[in-house]
Amino acid sequence: MNISMLGSARAVSSNVNGLSELLRQAVVEVRSGESGSGTGIIWGGAGLVVTNAHCIRRGSGLQVDASGKWRDAHALAYHPHHDLALLAAPSVSGPLLELRDPESLRPGELVFAHGHPLGIRDSLAMGVLHAVTRDRSKSPRWIVADVRLAPGNSGGPLVDAEGRLIGVNSMVVNGLGVAVPASLVQRFVDRALSERAA
Amino acid sequence: MSPKSGSNSTLTELSSQLATAVEVAANSVVAIHARRRIPSSGIVWRDGVIVSASHTVRRDDEIPVTLPNGDSTVATLAGRDSATDLIALRVQGGGAKSQTAPKADSSSLRVGSLVLAVGRPGKNVSASFGIVSAVGEGWRTWQGARIDRVLRLDLSVYDGFSGGPLVDASGAVLGLNNSALARGTPMALPAAAVDRVLDELLERGHVRRPFIGVAVQPVALSASLVKQHGLANNGGLLILSIAESSPAEKAGILLGDVLLEADSHTLARPDDLLDALSAVASNAAVSLKVLRGGTIKTVSVTPADRGETE
Repeated sequence: MNISMLGSARAVSSNVNGLSELLRQAVVEVRSGESGSGTGIIWGGAGLVVTNAHCIRRGSGLQVDASGKWRDAHALAYHPHHDLALLAAPSVSGPLLELRDPESLRPGELVFAHGHPLGIRDSLAMGVLHAVTRDRSKSPRWIVADVRLAPGNSGGPLVDAEGRLIGVNSMVVNGLGVAVPASLVQRFVDRALSERAA
Repeated sequence: MSPKSGSNSTLTELSSQLATAVEVAANSVVAIHARRRIPSSGIVWRDGVIVSASHTVRRDDEIPVTLPNGDSTVATLAGRDSATDLIALRVQGGGAKSQTAPKADSSSLRVGSLVLAVGRPGKNVSASFGIVSAVGEGWRTWQGARIDRVLRLDLSVYDGFSGGPLVDASGAVLGLNNSALARGTPMALPAAAVDRVLDELLERGHVRRPFIGVAVQPVALSASLVKQHGLANNGGLLILSIAESSPAEKAGILLGDVLLEADSHTLARPDDLLDALSAVASNAAVSLKVLRGGTIKTVSVTPADRGETE
């Protein structure tokens, strides 16, 4: 056995542990009424959570759980077309995730999905980028990844090897994970906040 | 532990190498539009020659292909082998200039190796990632093809990935992915097997499957017989039936004969006979050592080619 090769496998493993620690602090669990739960990403460091619109049942009590404590939250904005929701959750905070420009993504690079699939808290899945699909104006529409997702991963982060946010995991199509690109999420949040300020 | 930029150097490096491997492989991966719904993938294996999974190519002429550079062309059929589900296509002109896939040294294949499946189910390439979960010993598909080794994969062979390459972390091709080779289990046909089948397909359009037209069963021979004839082995293959006007019938093989050797190869199991026949050159005869009524005879049989009639 080549020791240096074993060393790099161990280093990779340890790097992945580090990602898991980072993401654990950057997400919440989202619960809406009696319906199942999803994952949310603490946005901008504190007070805001981004999740999937389909994780939220409108008109029912909305709660987020960060570090083992359920707290009330309320929805600020929805974007049903992109399946996004922005929540106000004043008491939550977490690390600021850098955003990854979808134009720089390469098929085959490593991606990681963090979330609470099937109610299992803080699960990490590893895979590779499969493709970036584009809309008619050629801008990124969906990030498609060869990564195993399950119900409960919805609304959670898809990140690259350095922990930069690639997108928000939203659905599974033909076994592939599909996420909303971080650029679209950023635009949605910016617009929602400026509309509220106006 | 905070994985800010820099502290994840090994992981980042691995990620970047994998993406580069996909880019390298992508230069020789084509899309083949010869079935409904999603196109399948193919590999530019040699100059002007594309290989793919035969079951994904549902037509025999004017096969539309999208080349790695995005150009469209039309390929012609060079041959199919149903036993290994391999198809060979030829492209002319600009298509012939596509870069051929770099091949990996298959002896470096080990269980646990990181691998990528690369497909072009449309205009762009996509990838999936996993490990080699088993490197099987030689096996024979039910149609009688001998595959030296088979790669069982722990990765997803998505729609449109069949016919595309399985590559190592440097982008070199280890095999051809096929989800249909073993009923949906992700498998790859090793590059060496692709080469061997391709040689035959390009030479004669099909893979030679020599047969002599007998059904056999292994039998043990008595110690006295072995001693009396000084046999190397205490078993042989008993002839149970002989197909009408088959090479065996023409050569005078009879029911109840026991085949002992084929071209000096000992015959203990039915597979031994298939192996011995595969080694016989085209249109050449095989010399069978036969035990008949307590005496040894030598019978010369010229195998026919089953592949031709498929």
